[in-house]
Amino acid sequence: MAMRDLVTGGADCAVPGSSSSNPLGALANALIGSSSKTQERLREIPTSQLTGPGRPFAPETHGQLPGSEFDHPPLQPNQQASNFLNAFHSAADPGLASAWNEVQAGPPPAHLREMQPSLAEFDRIYDQVPGSQHQPILDGPPQRVLSTFLHSFVESSRGGVPFHPTPLPLLGLSEGDKQCIRDRSSIMARHFFADKSEDFINAQLNALLSSLDIDTSKQVGGPQPGRFREMEDYWNESQALQRPGGHVADGWASEYSLNREKFADHDAWAQSFEQQYGANGWASEFEQEKFQLASAQNMAGGNMMNLSAMEQTRKLANTLAENNDPKFQNSKFLQFVSKMSRGELIIDDNQVKPNSLSPTDNWASEYQQQYSGGLPWADEFVSNQTNRWADEFAEEKQNVSNDPWVNEFSKLHMQDWVEEFGQQVGEGVSGEADNWANAYDEFVNEQVAAKGKMDASKGIYVFSDMNPYVGHPNPLKEGQDLFRKGLLSEAVLALEAEVMKNPENSEGWRLLGIAHAENDDDQQAIAAMKRALDVDPTNLEVLLALGVSHTNELEQAAALRYLYGWLQHHPKYGTLAKPELSDSLYYADVAGLFNEAAQMFPDDADVHIVLGVLYNLSREFDKAIASFQTALKLKPQDYSLWNKLGATQANSIQSADAILAYQQALDLKPNYVRAWANMGISYANQGLYEESIKYYVRSLSMNPKADNAWQYLRISLSCASRNDMLEACDSRNLDALQKEFPL
Amino acid sequence: MANSSNSSLKSDALLDQMKQHLSTDAGKEIAKKVGYVYQLNISPKKIGTDVVVYTIDLKKGEVIKGPYEGGKPDATLSFKDEDFIKIALGKMNPQMAFLRGALQIKGSISAAQKFTPDIFPKPAKL
Repeated sequence: MAMRDLVTGGADCAVPGSSSSNPLGALANALIGSSSKTQERLREIPTSQLTGPGRPFAPETHGQLPGSEFDHPPLQPNQQASNFLNAFHSAADPGLASAWNEVQAGPPPAHLREMQPSLAEFDRIYDQVPGSQHQPILDGPPQRVLSTFLHSFVESSRGGVPFHPTPLPLLGLSEGDKQCIRDRSSIMARHFFADKSEDFINAQLNALLSSLDIDTSKQVGGPQPGRFREMEDYWNESQALQRPGGHVADGWASEYSLNREKFADHDAWAQSFEQQYGANGWASEFEQEKFQLASAQNMAGGNMMNLSAMEQTRKLANTLAENNDPKFQNSKFLQFVSKMSRGELIIDDNQVKPNSLSPTDNWASEYQQQYSGGLPWADEFVSNQTNRWADEFAEEKQNVSNDPWVNEFSKLHMQDWVEEFGQQVGEGVSGEADNWANAYDEFVNEQVAAKGKMDASKGIYVFSDMNPYVGHPNPLKEGQDLFRKGLLSEAVLALEAEVMKNPENSEGWRLLGIAHAENDDDQQAIAAMKRALDVDPTNLEVLLALGVSHTNELEQAAALRYLYGWLQHHPKYGTLAKPELSDSLYYADVAGLFNEAAQMFPDDADVHIVLGVLYNLSREFDKAIASFQTALKLKPQDYSLWNKLGATQANSIQSADAILAYQQALDLKPNYVRAWANMGISYANQGLYEESIKYYVRSLSMNPKADNAWQYLRISLSCASRNDMLEACDSRNLDALQKEFPL
Repeated sequence: MANSSNSSLKSDALLDQMKQHLSTDAGKEIAKKVGYVYQLNISPKKIGTDVVVYTIDLKKGEVIKGPYEGGKPDATLSFKDEDFIKIALGKMNPQMAFLRGALQIKGSISAAQKFTPDIFPKPAKL
């Protein structure tokens, strides 16, 4: 959990000089790690009050604090748990592995189970003081006061009530402590109040910090003594004590232990390995040898592939080997690449040759020297692996000349892939990006993004992360306003917030779909429109929009179905639709019906629009253009209609006319991303790549999520011989692109 | 052209556009630059089944539905409808498609190498 990282100072967010032990961190651990559980448990305790900043603190303060009214000797399991947690907090130290060994002797869940008796005891003590009201205790030792105080601050966040400054006794906090509290609390507050305004957060923070007499304006910096270790221990312990033994699996303590196990496992493993094999494990030996080998080859071979080329092909082979397709696994290509990666084949003068200097032999002898008679596995390795490799190698050597595939491959050596491969390998040396590497990156990225993409292509709506409009009082209105202002990407976010709040709001989904379509994202548009249709199955605008988006995605059957649905549900034309048609829709029948409809009401622009879309489906572009032109006479202010006309003209190779139509659309709606992207397409299709780049960049500056436009931009960049900007395109660096290609 | 919607491929639309595109100056430029003949075997779902054959003749600058009749095409490429669209629109790198088995190539690899997204026109969106 990133939140936990933030407050515990784990990962990268530690303030310079601070340690991970601080009261806020521990407090947040306790609250975030187990907030629901804790609350549940607190509700069971008769004396606890759950409301307001003055929440009683007694249950947590139970433990070994001096002056505690529930003072009793620390219990053995507690101590163990706290040792365990201490060890966890020092996880960054080299002592981790040894700490792990200590704890390993008795795993934490067992301790926690043992704790049940002490818990019962705790409850018993509690039952003896029924009804007693515990006010926040703002005196006593400073740590105690501070933690109570911080606790009530966090508590106030739950109800979203403003936090009031409270006079506190002198705490004697050092500058470092104050800074630590300031930094952590401002980070935490931003998470607690993620749905509140910045002003509210600042007010809350100021209230907290002024109570603690901390200057809110101070800059970050300076050393921080780890002064609160004691408090943290106390916190951990009281939390551990509260935890019911049976629920360890849910608890943060056990979560910690899991994490810790992961970490410690690694280290312990590495440590024991090092103990066995000395500081330089065989891994490092291996690396060394590989490097030596490769450099030896370099010197000997002159023209041979160099180190990074080997490394690259090795990576390539690994990536390829991960493909599970058995056909692929056996493919010659994979074998070829693996051999290249092992240096058994080399590219010399653009010809593939078996390497004269057999690395396998070297390996074998090197290994034998290193591990002569030493370890059984080394012997095994030498006898099995090396021989197999050597055999394979020898076999390949014989086969090289009569293997048809290799022949074919070397026949092509002058121009083709081999050359390109060699070239790219060469480029790789100088650190330039190369296509192969990109292809693997792509492969990896594809797999990572696969789920989202699969959802999108399956017609499942994919929500944005980190939507700032979640929690907005009226996201629909906000979305409508933003849409009218032409801020499409913002409108999308607001409307997403709306449909998350009201999934049954067909208008929210519809407008979201329209915003996506105008933002040039048909897949999301389709997904949103489908949801709108679920709620309101006869909405004509939704049906038309689905017809259009499916047409854009070249999904003809689906497009035809929705356009026919439009006719079916239309109050004026519904009678034309014949029920028997809907099972097997033929384009000709549907087009015939719409022509009838257009004759019934020739002044209805909508029929002409649908006809225009239908003619696009059948690629009768002249008819489509005529239909849209008719519709435009009736609705000259419809910017999306101008775009439809332009797109149709572009698809029937009238790109010059198309640009005029797009210009009309953009005059009516300057932020119409789709029209900007279409402009780019028209220029690209005319071979005016430099020009097209500017329009793609413009559309992307308004909607950086449009994958299509990124792909088209990439093509235009390479066609315009602007390979220098490909990297900016691949890293989606809009600033650089806008600077280079201003419109 | 009034074909049944159920049996049509996405590729039909794109190749139709390509056919027209090759008659424009930009299209002729591309044909001149590439100068190979490609036969496309496009299948709706699985490579090798229900194959629809197209020929993209960039020597003459034309697209024909059906196999190449002027001899042997420089390269024959087989893919699914969906994957052809992805390659032609720059969504999938042809090398990647080949490595993943989404594209099968017969014939000259140098010809296949010039089969890239920039020879295809891009469809505008309504």
